[in-house]
Amino acid sequence: MSSSVGAHCTELKQKYDTCFNKWYSEKFLKGDTTPECEDLFKDYRACVMITLKEKGIDKLLAESRKETQFPSASSGDEEAGPNSA
Amino acid sequence: MKLFKSIHNFNYEWSLVSAANWQKYPNENCPHVQHVDVLNRFVDPETGTLTTERIITVDQKVPSLLRRILGADTTQYVHETSTIDPKTKTLSMKSKNLTLSNLLTIEETIEYTEHPEDPQQTQFTQQAAISAGSLVSRWSGIVEELSLKRFKDNAAVGREGFCKVLERFVVMAEAQHKPVSSTTDTTS
Repeated sequence: MSSSVGAHCTELKQKYDTCFNKWYSEKFLKGDTTPECEDLFKDYRACVMITLKEKGIDKLLAESRKETQFPSASSGDEEAGPNSA
Repeated sequence: MKLFKSIHNFNYEWSLVSAANWQKYPNENCPHVQHVDVLNRFVDPETGTLTTERIITVDQKVPSLLRRILGADTTQYVHETSTIDPKTKTLSMKSKNLTLSNLLTIEETIEYTEHPEDPQQTQFTQQAAISAGSLVSRWSGIVEELSLKRFKDNAAVGREGFCKVLERFVVMAEAQHKPVSSTTDTTS
């Protein structure tokens, strides 16, 4: 399993990845698209966003997002917004 | 601008390839990919498609000629968005470098689709557009040429690495579904 850009986020990441990979193969690919793993994802993502900010990557990311127009409910920049996925 | 395109077939069906895609790294062929992080992910309730946004951290040696311009930092970041449609069996990914863009922009598009003639195979189409940035416009030819070579090298090791990931994936999937056989000796 890959590690996170934030070394201290790796454990959270791998918990989330394990959940997601299982959901993807056992549910999503079989037609059940009800999202799962949201709580795990919230914790993991919060950790990553802090790391990106510390490294100064958040501004570059915001610029790139304007071009890609990622159609998400939450851009990840908000503080503790509800994950409505 | 330099353009790159390649088409390759993987001898595995699309569902397996799309699942293995999420577990492509780390792999021994791609040591330059250091970290992969998911930033956003959601399922569109109307279309049933899964969209994912990721940031990939890469540690790539930069030719010393370019390093004199850029400085010594070899850690770079790539921004990727992807969409999976399980109904059409399509996985599309677009990525672009976040860093070094005043030197170079590499925009990559990847698609994994069920092979049109063989549902047991997956077709992999990879395209890239490489453009030198404003900082090096006088040397755009050589910058783009060097980058294209590096891109092709990475594309080749990427495919080899993914092949090994796919092989391992199949072995693991078979192990999970194999009935447990008793190894105890039944003779008294």
